[in-house]
Amino acid sequence: MRTIHDEKFSSPEAIRQGFQEQGFIASRQIATTAYLAYHLEKPLLVEGPAGVGKTELAKTTAAYLDLPLIRLQCYEGLDESKALYEWKYGKQLLYTQLLKDKLDSIINRENGFAESIDKLHRYDDIFFSRHFLEPRPLLKALQQEGGAVLLVDEIDKSDDEFEAFLLEILSDFQVSIPEIGTIHAVTKPIVFLTSNNTRELSEALKRRCLHLFIPFPEPALERNIIRIRVPGISEKLGRQLVAFIQSVRKLDVRKAPSVSETIDWARVLLILHGEELNPDLVRDTLNIFLKFEEDIAVVTERLHQLTTNAVRSAGD
Amino acid sequence: MDRILSEFIVSLRHAGVRISVSETLDALHSVWLVGYEDRESLRDALMAALPKSAPEKEIFNRCFDHFFSFDYFTDAESPPNPQQRPVSPAADDPLSRMLLNGDQSALVMAMREAARAANLTDIQFFTQRSLYALRILDRMGLPAMDGQMQSMQATGSPGAAQQAAALEKARTMLVDNVRRYVEQQLALNTPTATENILTSYLRHAKLSMLEQQHFQDMHVIIQRMVKRLNDLHSRRRKTAKRGQLDFKKTLRQNITYQGFLFDPKWKKRKVERPDLVVICDVSRSVMRTVRFLLLFLYGLNKAIVRIRTFIFCSNLIEITTIFDEYPVEVAVEKIRLGADLPILMGRTDYDQSFRDFKTNHLGSVTRKTTVLILGDARNNYAEAQTGILKSMYERSKRLIWLNPETPSFWGTGDSEMKKYAPFCSTIKECNTLHHLEGVVTSLVHRHH
Repeated sequence: MRTIHDEKFSSPEAIRQGFQEQGFIASRQIATTAYLAYHLEKPLLVEGPAGVGKTELAKTTAAYLDLPLIRLQCYEGLDESKALYEWKYGKQLLYTQLLKDKLDSIINRENGFAESIDKLHRYDDIFFSRHFLEPRPLLKALQQEGGAVLLVDEIDKSDDEFEAFLLEILSDFQVSIPEIGTIHAVTKPIVFLTSNNTRELSEALKRRCLHLFIPFPEPALERNIIRIRVPGISEKLGRQLVAFIQSVRKLDVRKAPSVSETIDWARVLLILHGEELNPDLVRDTLNIFLKFEEDIAVVTERLHQLTTNAVRSAGD
Repeated sequence: MDRILSEFIVSLRHAGVRISVSETLDALHSVWLVGYEDRESLRDALMAALPKSAPEKEIFNRCFDHFFSFDYFTDAESPPNPQQRPVSPAADDPLSRMLLNGDQSALVMAMREAARAANLTDIQFFTQRSLYALRILDRMGLPAMDGQMQSMQATGSPGAAQQAAALEKARTMLVDNVRRYVEQQLALNTPTATENILTSYLRHAKLSMLEQQHFQDMHVIIQRMVKRLNDLHSRRRKTAKRGQLDFKKTLRQNITYQGFLFDPKWKKRKVERPDLVVICDVSRSVMRTVRFLLLFLYGLNKAIVRIRTFIFCSNLIEITTIFDEYPVEVAVEKIRLGADLPILMGRTDYDQSFRDFKTNHLGSVTRKTTVLILGDARNNYAEAQTGILKSMYERSKRLIWLNPETPSFWGTGDSEMKKYAPFCSTIKECNTLHHLEGVVTSLVHRHH
């Protein structure tokens, strides 16, 4: 499968263009790292503030390569049975009921108790075979014939134990199931892990991954993103709102507006037929990209200054 | 393996970035993929493979700029016009030839080669700069070149003199470049060496003597210590929770199922979460120690320890809520400034403070509580009653008194330490990070 996609991943530049066709504007660094992750067959750990496109990167890769995206959302208390596999208990019970006669005949014909048990033992593996295995995201990703993109989202939300459990999959692309044995990947999936840095990840996990930090984009890149994602917006307004957002990020706010919020704001301004930023328009739409009462207060205080600065800097 | 890369990794390690063997291999493969041609691609590639956190990326960028700078010998003179070049006594030692021809890449190569032979990567202190520069120059063949220059000057012919002058100029440039190279290597190497020394110094330094500039470092060290404690004890809690079959309880519970042992019950070892009441003297003499103690305690995981905190000077108030509202650093800073708090910063009055504690908060001390008092017990020659301390001691599991003064000062002047001593389970000297760590470890270490 790799050879089919090799062409699409032939150089960082090819990736950048391919991603752009999917509507994802990648910086040079993102493209280079994706290129390396693909060719080294290593998982890629993506960190950065919320809303800079960490998850989007995995989705875009899947769309670009035309592979299924298998997503595992992490949360506290996530364990193997939800992430890797579970036995289909219902099916097991149903089958034992259905096969009751069969079982009876196996047991009844023999008189001795020990012998019956012996006979039963010969069959019990049936109920713990692949037919009764319910694959969860991780196992599913390993079993995909044509390969897959596996996204382990917000790994920092999971427990330490789960992180340790991931190590086997990440380094060897295999998992051990006690009843069946070790399952190897049919085709190695492309793995993305994302983290919001709510806690420090373990050294062992980091060691097994390539690491990419996506910061808030530079003004030029962000303008580009707006241009592609919100095609109807005028060049002038695009420049102004990016300049405004960039200066808000420099303020002391609890949650800095992310790229996705810039896009939302641009869409709203487009619907409102805004031609140009002015203090009133900004005040009415502040809540699109600021999600805390305090933040809105901080920005409102400097609204006039920020708006005029943004308009002026965009005019140059 | 790629020698340039391995040298770069060594310097990264020196700078404090942890790099494992597998990461080195990743870096090597990355370099094969992107090559050395484009500096920025190389940076991106190594950035993905080697540093794994934001601070490490910063260090990486700094090292990368230092290491992959190719601006040495840029001022080497380009070869003069062949017609003008004096033909006679040509320089025949390689170094002079390189210098006179202005062969930049050859010079850089020669310098790196010589540096490697002189083990430049071992350089540690700035006093070694000249030594290493000399060694490198020696290995590059400077003595031979000097000899050449002298003999040229001795012949006295105009051509030779001109060439000698050119060599003289080139020599200055060479020495400059080598020095610069050595300095950069030193810059790459030293941070950790000094950092280790600094860390061990800070751990044992008297908290009251610390300078403002080290506070940031202290926070980092405390965070590291706390993280270790947290890791250690949260794991123990989990293993301690596991139990064995509680047969008696199982029998009792399963009577309802006609005695079939249907629903097994497990013995659960109860893990004790230390219940902590912290009472801190915040007069000027003790404040610094208080600050670090609180940083330490509140850094601990809430699951490991439950804390109520009181501060006193002329009176006593509870400040637990401040820690609930703000992050630890901010809270400690607020307490230090004492703004918006109903605390009187007059003379330290242990008696009044204990009375305040008794009227409002004595109920918070139960037989499960560990009371931690941090103070120098200097009561400004006022009357010191021990009655309340005694009742606190009797009600609590343990009462630990931390005194920032060295033991020889206890009980001298207005210190009432001797008087309070009988009602403390333990009294500890506490004026360095090392002491603090010891105290906190002993607090969380008790699992019964």
